[in-house]
Amino acid sequence: MSDSGVQLTEVRKSFGSMEVIHGVNLTIPDGAFVVFVGPSGCGKSTLLRMIAGLEEVTDGEIAIKGREVTDVDPSQRGIAMVFQSYALYPHMTVRDNLAFGLKMQRTEKAVIDERVAAAAAILKIEPLMDRRPGQLSGGQRQRVAIGRAIVRQPEVFLFDEPLSNLDAELRVSMRVEIARLHRELGNTMIYVTHDQTEAMTLADVIVVLRDGRVEQSGSPRTVYEDPDNAFVAGFIGSPRMNLLDAVWRGDGKVELAGRAEAAPIAGDGLAAGDKVTFGLRPEHLVVGAPGGIEARVDVLEYLGGTRYLYCQLTDGQPLIVEYRDGPDVRPGDTITLGCPPNRRYIFNEGGLRIR
Amino acid sequence: MTTKKEARARRAMLGAGGYHGTGILLAVFFLAPFAITILSSFRHGTEARLPPIPPWPTTGFSLDAYRNLDSFGAGVWQHTLNSAAVAVGTALLTVVVSLLAGYGFSRYRFVFKNALFVLIIATLMIPFQSILTPLFIILAKLGLNNSLIGLTLVYVTLQLPFSVFMMRNAFDAVPKEIEEAARIDGARDLGLLVRVLLPLVLPGIVTVAIFAFLNSWNEFLAALVLLSDNSKFTLPILISAVRAGRLGAIDWGAVQAGVTVMSVPCLFVFLLLQRYYMRGLMAGAVK
Repeated sequence: MSDSGVQLTEVRKSFGSMEVIHGVNLTIPDGAFVVFVGPSGCGKSTLLRMIAGLEEVTDGEIAIKGREVTDVDPSQRGIAMVFQSYALYPHMTVRDNLAFGLKMQRTEKAVIDERVAAAAAILKIEPLMDRRPGQLSGGQRQRVAIGRAIVRQPEVFLFDEPLSNLDAELRVSMRVEIARLHRELGNTMIYVTHDQTEAMTLADVIVVLRDGRVEQSGSPRTVYEDPDNAFVAGFIGSPRMNLLDAVWRGDGKVELAGRAEAAPIAGDGLAAGDKVTFGLRPEHLVVGAPGGIEARVDVLEYLGGTRYLYCQLTDGQPLIVEYRDGPDVRPGDTITLGCPPNRRYIFNEGGLRIR
Repeated sequence: MTTKKEARARRAMLGAGGYHGTGILLAVFFLAPFAITILSSFRHGTEARLPPIPPWPTTGFSLDAYRNLDSFGAGVWQHTLNSAAVAVGTALLTVVVSLLAGYGFSRYRFVFKNALFVLIIATLMIPFQSILTPLFIILAKLGLNNSLIGLTLVYVTLQLPFSVFMMRNAFDAVPKEIEEAARIDGARDLGLLVRVLLPLVLPGIVTVAIFAFLNSWNEFLAALVLLSDNSKFTLPILISAVRAGRLGAIDWGAVQAGVTVMSVPCLFVFLLLQRYYMRGLMAGAVK
């Protein structure tokens, strides 16, 4: 138990008669950076708020550092939370904002001063200490909000989409900052986002949620390279994986747009003629492969370093291709596409990966 | 070039002149009644019976009017004290009750919450004159008729629907995250309300306090009906007695003095509290 930072056991949450979290089991190792990711409404924020103690747990158990905290007051759980909207106390100076939690715990003044100064140094907000939140920029406010979490010296940091209100440039620099913070402090951090770049770059473990269920959890590399199902495969990666309708032929191949394509699976549990989903990531498709899948280019997006080709297969299915180098391609052209066998993903009709 | 610059400067000056001119005109318009009342309250006793123009004392300042005013009822000090006690009591009690009620309606989930809230707001539609008799009977049963405490309670009751509505809105405007952050920081219940939320709803509290104070300070009908003891009358009743005159003769000087005594505290309260109508207190909390 001692090596688990946070442990969720069969955690459920209902609002009235509607269940929004359906029995989540999750073990978060101590010191890990875990990112909850999923589309809006998937319950990732609710789950985080349950760990924080801001939402009641309908059923199940939550333990932090081996201590059961399911019904413990938020302030006694050893957590600190950073909100999307910063949620600073507008009538207090930055210094008072940082010190407030410690004051409520009746910490000695000298200790408060010391910890506040240390947090301010880590976040480089010393010159702002006597200002009020209204006089700060968005990035500075978010630093203060993170500082307020640091001074509590929590076991677990909880971040609820902390960068969503910042502009794109600031988001990137704050992302790096949060990664640095995790390396310096070494605490367990749980981070909620819908931005998969944040998820991929920050996480030791990504937890992909949908409709209140964990679809898959694992390292960024695992969820990207070895997705358990079509949802995770489609959600992780940008542009999203092409999920094409195909039919299992039974001879190690699938029929896609009237052609036989090799599929790297034994086909256990599949019968010839079963409908399957054939998944190909845009970045794995090779343009100009002899004897490859034929596609017509509809739209071309030029992004400088790369190009996205929005294509149609001969049976009309849409397909996105990432195209880096090679001869010019124009809308209306027909191209042939290849893909290495180990980059081909097959999902059954229920969306589960066939390996 | 120069002419263009000059023309622009002239236009700017004209604009500023018009702006300030209009402002001064409006200020005069609104301040004139106060000036006339206060100045004429210092006229001599004999002068007070003359036509009111010019309104200022022409034969030297005198406190005759105030002395005359003091000869009515139980003395102007007693009545001012009565009024002040009722108004301050009403304001304080209204603020405390509406603060708690507004917080509850804004943040807690309970059965019939909205129905209850609508019910409270709906009482605004009842003209209070129509419930004066039942109020009188209830106060009599409670042994609170002809008492300033009873009157205060009636005023608080009348003031509450609007105040609860006001405070609920004030609490609704406070982002939930601030409260949650405070809960994680370990603030709970009253501590949370006083240390974190109170400063954020201060403009609402001030509004409620000003309204409660002014309304109870100026209220006439309930005070007239519910109070029967001369020494307990509030200022509006004193003024009406002064206005009614003695033996058919109305002492206009005393009336002006009474109006002055009544309006100065209102001005004072408003000027004292208006700076808390600050905007932008919330700026920077979220987003």
